[in-house]
Amino acid sequence: MPQGDYIENHIKEHGHRLDHFERIRKREAREPHKKSQIIKRTRGLKAKLLNKQNFVDKVQQRKKVAALTQKKADKKTDQPAVQGAVPPYLLDRQATSSSKVLSNTVKEKRKEKAGKWDVPLPKVRPVADDEIFKVIYTGKRKKKQWKRMVTKVTFVGDGFTRKPPKYERFIRPMGLRFKKAHVTHPELKTTFCLDIIGVKKNPQSALYSSLGVITKGTIIEVNVSDLGLVTNTGKVVWGKYAQVTNNPENDGCINAVLLV
Amino acid sequence: MVTYNLKKIQLVPGAKDLIDIVLSKTQRKTPTVIHRHYAIARIRQFYMRKVKFAQQTFHDKLAQILEDFPQVDEIHPFYADLLNVLYDRDHYKLALGQVSKAKSLIDNLSKEYLRLLKYGDSLYRCKMLKRAAVGRMCTIVKRLASAFSYLEQVRQHMARLPSIDPHMRCLIIAGYPNVGKSSFMNLITRANVDVQPYPFTTKSLYVGHMDYKYLRWQVIDTPGILDKPLEERNTIEMQSITALAHLRAAVLFFLDPSEHCGYSWEQQMALLYSLEPLFVDKPVIVVCNKTDLSWSNAQRVEEELNALLDNQQEKKGTVSELETNNNKKQQRLTICGWRKMSTLEKTGVIQVRNAACDWLLSQRVESKVRGPRAQSILNRLHVAIPAGVDQNQQEAGELSLCRPFIPESVWKKRQATTTNTAFHTEEEMEREEEDENKQPKQSNVVVLEKDREMAHGGAGVYSSDWNKQYWMRDESWKYDIMPEIIQGHNIMDFVDADIDERLAALEEEEVAREAMMNVDNDEEEQQEGEQALDQETQQRLQRIREKKALLIRGRSKSRNPIGANKMTKAHPKRSEDWKQQWKELGMDESFLQSTTQQIISNRSQSREAKSHSPAPRSSSRSTSTYRWNQTKADAGKGFLNHQQKQKAMRLARKAIRGISKKDRRKGEADRTIYNENPKHLLAGKRKLGKTQRR
Repeated sequence: MPQGDYIENHIKEHGHRLDHFERIRKREAREPHKKSQIIKRTRGLKAKLLNKQNFVDKVQQRKKVAALTQKKADKKTDQPAVQGAVPPYLLDRQATSSSKVLSNTVKEKRKEKAGKWDVPLPKVRPVADDEIFKVIYTGKRKKKQWKRMVTKVTFVGDGFTRKPPKYERFIRPMGLRFKKAHVTHPELKTTFCLDIIGVKKNPQSALYSSLGVITKGTIIEVNVSDLGLVTNTGKVVWGKYAQVTNNPENDGCINAVLLV
Repeated sequence: MVTYNLKKIQLVPGAKDLIDIVLSKTQRKTPTVIHRHYAIARIRQFYMRKVKFAQQTFHDKLAQILEDFPQVDEIHPFYADLLNVLYDRDHYKLALGQVSKAKSLIDNLSKEYLRLLKYGDSLYRCKMLKRAAVGRMCTIVKRLASAFSYLEQVRQHMARLPSIDPHMRCLIIAGYPNVGKSSFMNLITRANVDVQPYPFTTKSLYVGHMDYKYLRWQVIDTPGILDKPLEERNTIEMQSITALAHLRAAVLFFLDPSEHCGYSWEQQMALLYSLEPLFVDKPVIVVCNKTDLSWSNAQRVEEELNALLDNQQEKKGTVSELETNNNKKQQRLTICGWRKMSTLEKTGVIQVRNAACDWLLSQRVESKVRGPRAQSILNRLHVAIPAGVDQNQQEAGELSLCRPFIPESVWKKRQATTTNTAFHTEEEMEREEEDENKQPKQSNVVVLEKDREMAHGGAGVYSSDWNKQYWMRDESWKYDIMPEIIQGHNIMDFVDADIDERLAALEEEEVAREAMMNVDNDEEEQQEGEQALDQETQQRLQRIREKKALLIRGRSKSRNPIGANKMTKAHPKRSEDWKQQWKELGMDESFLQSTTQQIISNRSQSREAKSHSPAPRSSSRSTSTYRWNQTKADAGKGFLNHQQKQKAMRLARKAIRGISKKDRRKGEADRTIYNENPKHLLAGKRKLGKTQRR
């Protein structure tokens, strides 16, 4: 029964075999050849993955080499720079940079002002009615076509009671009802899983807003009481708007950005 | 008995590897072709299967890990504590908890996505949902990376742990570092523990096995312990403490009175006292090692250890007195005994081992007898006494049911043997033997060969005289030398005890037969006399015999063509030939005439009868062919009749018509290349593989 560091003990007692280090050296020398053979032979998806991995490795390697050479170069040119000694061709660069800074700040300020009224996704893809609604054939002969099923993710409030199913025009299936959204705070750069309070506006149409259909670009109201946000007057904010940034029906979850 | 398969835990893959494994398995084991125009139910089913499969594979992999790793709360406390010491119990539990959580998360996730997939209305949507589902599963697993790497390290270490059975008879060797624990271990077991002349050579528990009293014993070598508070002990020392605390074993506490280990006698004794709480209910044997070195304080050592021994006796005597001295540690500690030993000179090693084993064994037996299980068995035991037996009866000397019947003579003999003293010296023996030879009947004492052997120097020196026991008709034959083999013949092959009787019987039989023969001969002679042959007849007889001899010779040379010719001549077909031949052989003319006539007439009659018979021609023909076939068909060749054979041959000839002679040899079982230019090998673009194998 092997116990403890039996391999180490054996090496300690008997040492390595005579050609141990030679073998290791050769194995290492053989490594690139082997690798190239593998690269040659792999096909399909495996090749793709391998290639990607190799690429990443190589980039890392290059970066490392670059960093090392940089260090060396830095060491070599470690002469104290004379104060104010700037070559003539660099003289006007200083000026431009300062002006650039100025213009940038102006731009940012403008942006900030405009940002108040902006949303992260200003444009949305128009979605046709027949994409959102699926026609349900009803009636004894299945020829009536007035009933619709919503095929997108919806939000239905807690207190909602269905109309008598026979007369219900829009069916919102249980499987597609969502109650939570992953909301990202743009300044904190963190994401929270928050309760949805309601659908404020669906840019596609007012009907969707009233039905609670959630598509990309929809503004929803989320419960932020857990975040502990406070208004200027000192009250705790509990409802805030957020814009949906993904296609919930395709991703199986709602991702949104908080509108600050 | 519980044994933990710490060695059989499967490899824990890294998070990235696990993801690769599961994704490629999903790709391999589920269908891969789907098209937009397929029925939506089929498309949904296709993607649902993928999600379900990925989830199941993740689930299985994680469940395997959870199943393999032992639960700290469920295993023997010794192992639980060892795991705590080596791998940190909290960390261990946390890692397993994370894995378990991830498993349930993945299960829930797949449930959620399968529900959404049911509402998928296009291939694109289904595909995106599947992608999201599998992606999220991978993310969950990716978060387990650190847990996985930790568990893998634990697994590798666990596989190297010695397999200690906590319930087995066990000796634990404990003591300060460098006092000779490992060298003792190497002496009594076959475990190859590293022994070096510096402290803390042994850094983990080692286990060895040995046999004593036909039982298997486990010996555990522990790393050295220093006299420190428990909290300050490091991992190496804690392993020893764990073993001492949880295993019910005999403790061999090693001391080095020579102080060559680098620790003074006081320090070592202090450790012994401080470990006292761990020695409860365990036989403790103090072993003073290194007797080969000079002990400066031998006197003191003995005194102190004897004091500890006395302690024990006191404890047994008065409990109350002990309680008054409770504050003194020395007073509380009790040991079973102490021994001196030298592992270098190998003196006293076996004594130490035996003492420890005996103490432990007696303690285990005691505890077993005291235990509830033994009681339950003892309650069920009942010793039956025959009803007729009474104490008074036995005293009165009446025949009781219990007493066996011993014949008078045997009883007397037995009495004699017990009264007579055994033979001690050779002279006595010889005298006795002489007596025996002279008057064997008179002596009551039976001298056994064994006694004789003992008296003459034991086995190997004295060899018993077996010839004396031989049963011979003549006593003087006993010592005759009889060789086994003479001139290469085994004597026993020629020995026949009742040869004389058998010979006599044979001779009698012979005489009887001869008498019979004489009677027969007489009768024959009479017949011959009645019809004595004349000259001519005798000549004919002679010729017949010659011819016969010739024929026999000819038959034996059937291969010889000349002989064969003669044979054919010997069987002439025509009646004239027959006649000629028989005449040559000296048959009577008139007799010949009559017999040939008869034969011919018989034949013609039969032919006529057939030709005139009312049976259809075909039937007569078939019968004739049958007779012909009987002579000509090849028996045993697998044909019913000649026609069948002919037909088969014809067919065979037809089958090979048009095939070259070389090809005719080919059979069904021979290797053939059906298609020498297979399209899939020769046509198309070459991507993977070779021309021979694609």
